[in-house]
Amino acid sequence: MQSSSRRPALVAVFAVLGFLVAIAFNSTTRAAEIRPAGRSSDLVAVVREMEVERAELQERLSELRTEISLREQEAAEESGVDRSFTQEFDRVRLAAGLVALAGPGIEVTLADSKDVPQGADPNDYLIHDTDISAVVNALMVGGAEAVSVNGERVVATTPIRCAGTTILVNATRLGNPYVISAIGEADALEAALEGDPHAILLFDTYRTQFGLEVSVIRRPEVVVPEFRGSMRPAHAVAVGGGM
Amino acid sequence: MLALALALALGVTLGLLTNVSVPLASVTYLGVAVLAAIDACLGGIRASLERTFDDKVFVSGFLTNTLMAAFIVFIGDRIGVRELYLAAVVAFGMRVFDNLGAVRRLIFHRWGWE
Repeated sequence: MQSSSRRPALVAVFAVLGFLVAIAFNSTTRAAEIRPAGRSSDLVAVVREMEVERAELQERLSELRTEISLREQEAAEESGVDRSFTQEFDRVRLAAGLVALAGPGIEVTLADSKDVPQGADPNDYLIHDTDISAVVNALMVGGAEAVSVNGERVVATTPIRCAGTTILVNATRLGNPYVISAIGEADALEAALEGDPHAILLFDTYRTQFGLEVSVIRRPEVVVPEFRGSMRPAHAVAVGGGM
Repeated sequence: MLALALALALGVTLGLLTNVSVPLASVTYLGVAVLAAIDACLGGIRASLERTFDDKVFVSGFLTNTLMAAFIVFIGDRIGVRELYLAAVVAFGMRVFDNLGAVRRLIFHRWGWE
């Protein structure tokens, strides 16, 4: 066997073989990392698990937020911190949507049609993300002070979008029917809905033609919960060092 | 023999350290390339033992075999017969065992165990 070691070409090919085997090893481990759950049923389970985890974290977040505001109040009382400072803080929190609010307003309920005729396009008989965002926008036009969709507070960074067969608001999956609660002056809110072209389609054409269930109810007290998501910006920096 | 083992270890270390990997779609090419390399290694050892080893024949054989195998995989992908790569795998596999057997017999012969 001495002779084989004196063949540089043979030695080189052995090194190549080792290198290729290592690459193959890297590739298969990477593939396993990328797709730990290769089947869609596994992925569904992963999503459900993460949704449960997120719900727990959201609960914890709102607990912590309550605790923070309590501590701030205590600190303000004890050390006599400038009252206007804590008041300003509360106002900012209110404006950001981190506080649950109640007040007079309206509730708009949108629900999918109960029966879809044979051969019809089922999309016509469902509530879409665009319907919800049109109604939310119209309510904002009408001066709504706080809006939520199925308990998901609409804040400055809230997306309303379609994901497969469900609608996501604040990355939370919502199910039919969709209840949009808005605090504000009921007359103005209703007038804004009547002035919005998409909302008009929804309330007249779509309701009568496709059987979508659409209703507007005035309420003396509407409760809009606080925003439960994260508010920490990853890219944005305050201009002028305000933070 | 020691030099070959060291070269193999060096190749593995280098590959693991650089952490190079190929996309999932090209894994078949890599598998066929590994087989071609194993085949070349065993063929080289056999030729050495038979004292017929020639650098030019060895390197050109390794390269053309690998390229042809890659070409077969590529053609298989193009014409929608993914399994065509099996032709290369079977050919290389048979050669690997063929060479292994020859190497085994040559070693027996050299050490006088026959």
